[in-house]
Amino acid sequence: MKQNLVALVGTGTIAQGIALTLARNALDVIIYDENRAALKSAIDGMSFSIDREIEKWGMTENEKRAALSRIVTTTVKADLAQASVFFESKGEELEEKRDLMKKLDMISDDEALLIMTTTTISVTEVSKVLRNPARLIGLHFLHPVYKVPVVEVVKGHRTSSETVDATRKLLNTLDRQYIEVFEYPGYVTTRVILPLLNEAMHVLMEGLASAEDIDKAIRLGFDLSMGPLALADFIGLDVLLGWMESLFHELGEAKYRPCPLLRRHVREQKLGMKTLEGFFKYDKDGKKVSS
Amino acid sequence: MIILTLNCGSSSVKYQLINTKNREKLAKGSVERIGMASSIISIATSNGKKKKLTKEILDHTAAIGAVLELMKDKDLKILKSFDEIDAVGHRVVHGGEEFKNSMLITKEVKDKLRENFKLAPLHNPPNLKGIEAAERVLAGRPHVGVFDTAFHSSMPKKAYIYALPYVFYKRYQIRRYGFHGTSHRYVSEHLTKFYKDGAKGKKIITAHIGNGASMAAIVDGKSVDTSMGFTPLEGLVMGSRCGDMDPAIILYIMGLQELSKSEADSLLNKHSGLMGISGLSGDVRDLEEEMEAGNKRAKLAMDVYCYRIRKYVGAYAAAMGGLDSLIFTAGVGENSSFLRKTVCEGLDFLGITLDKKKNEEKSGKARKISSEKSRVDVFVIPTDEELVIALDTEKIVKESKTT
Repeated sequence: MKQNLVALVGTGTIAQGIALTLARNALDVIIYDENRAALKSAIDGMSFSIDREIEKWGMTENEKRAALSRIVTTTVKADLAQASVFFESKGEELEEKRDLMKKLDMISDDEALLIMTTTTISVTEVSKVLRNPARLIGLHFLHPVYKVPVVEVVKGHRTSSETVDATRKLLNTLDRQYIEVFEYPGYVTTRVILPLLNEAMHVLMEGLASAEDIDKAIRLGFDLSMGPLALADFIGLDVLLGWMESLFHELGEAKYRPCPLLRRHVREQKLGMKTLEGFFKYDKDGKKVSS
Repeated sequence: MIILTLNCGSSSVKYQLINTKNREKLAKGSVERIGMASSIISIATSNGKKKKLTKEILDHTAAIGAVLELMKDKDLKILKSFDEIDAVGHRVVHGGEEFKNSMLITKEVKDKLRENFKLAPLHNPPNLKGIEAAERVLAGRPHVGVFDTAFHSSMPKKAYIYALPYVFYKRYQIRRYGFHGTSHRYVSEHLTKFYKDGAKGKKIITAHIGNGASMAAIVDGKSVDTSMGFTPLEGLVMGSRCGDMDPAIILYIMGLQELSKSEADSLLNKHSGLMGISGLSGDVRDLEEEMEAGNKRAKLAMDVYCYRIRKYVGAYAAAMGGLDSLIFTAGVGENSSFLRKTVCEGLDFLGITLDKKKNEEKSGKARKISSEKSRVDVFVIPTDEELVIALDTEKIVKESKTT
């Protein structure tokens, strides 16, 4: 087992953010996916994110080279075996997660730490299929992972205190603050922010004020760096809709019922910053353009 | 005494093995990329033998262990046994207000160092890691900490207090600390040894101009002011650090480009200085070449760079109420005759007149470059921080044995 090697399964935005955060903190990362093209686009994505960071003076070209040199990819699962930490960041489907964690469980060293990323899925449910459920823990990262300084640590019923300690140590290495939460759909961050975003959409739908003015009032009124509608665009409206439907379904509470305006935007494929249009319009660099 | 000096960064260890009796450097080198599969260990001996190898080294303990093993290498023949090493001297970046001199490392000293993490979050944690690693590998012999800030602890309050609400000093120890203290001390002591009365009554300016750069005003052998401040960002223009500027600029830029704290930090420390102005390089050698080829931005960067040093010469001469000698040291200070010339030109009114030919001469030795008629002595003195660390370590070990 190599102490400084972290295996990562997944190529999406969160997975890319995790890989960059690890590499920026001098850990070696090996990313696995069966799809070579997905791996390639993950590397391109990370390179692009770093370039944006360099433009904002947050990194230098040398730091970019150093970070990317620590990240390798593979399409062979067995290549991950030497890692001391296994990260899973692949979608929000219970069956898929279980399947994958089971495979990682089989190839990993008994001492290795198993981490699943989760927004809504239960760590306990996933851990049931493992040889030793005590070494599985959940982490809830927020986008963009390499910038957001806080992480939610989700303990399953059988997660051991050693696993929690090892996770704390890892997060310290990554220079991240963390809060420990019990298993419950949405944890803290998602649960608290969703009703705010949803309410802002209702206010807009009811025609009380323009999108621009709603954001201005909330941003300046409560000293936030982003207004709720811009934040919704930033997260991605399809992602938000998915979370809300899942919480509404799990908890049955009306406060999580997605605003019709959100549904309409998603139907029209106006998904926010990534499609250049959501509640606001954006240019390719993610800058808001006045409509 | 045979002393091992260590300078531990987050992923590197620089070391020298020094015989303090004849000041011979028995070996020196570094371990780079600690924590990675392909760490690089290099060593060079005093008789010119060199070795470089790549190996997996996961932490500082393994790094120091690997270096020591290499010293026992049959071809290199540096040490027969580790027992020959009498003591270890550690470079520690930030001593805070507590450490005014080099110290024998005890549990209390380590606790204090830990308290100082907040003052030097980048440097002190790896420094302490290195100390703890060396204590494991070389147990049972004294370890000594030599602090970059210690030499400047003699500054008067008027030089180290910032004009901020006093509560920031009282509560958070926000004040000027200064860095490169070991270097400023070494070169000034090196010079005053040759004066009849030693350092007494002498007013000296030392200019440590390397990739990081700072100046110090030294009276009677004691630092009375220095250009780096609470962090190494203040003062001179450096390779990629901005040095002095209007603090309002950063607030303005942060608003303008919606920068976070860490982005702003990176902007000032890594994208500014010579690199920032020239857009080419933070290395003076590159810029001198570009300048000769007619690159205007390279010229501008060098102009700003030299002008800042010159301003500090004037400021410190005024602060001390006179000037006896000016010393250039460190990479750029020792090697760039252009820099020295540009800084000193037209300072005859202050008593500084360079000997053009002497300034141009290349040498690795300490040398006087001012003309015979110059009232102020101008010197180039190669710095040797490791030697100071080794000599301090020896002194403290001897003292601790007698008490």
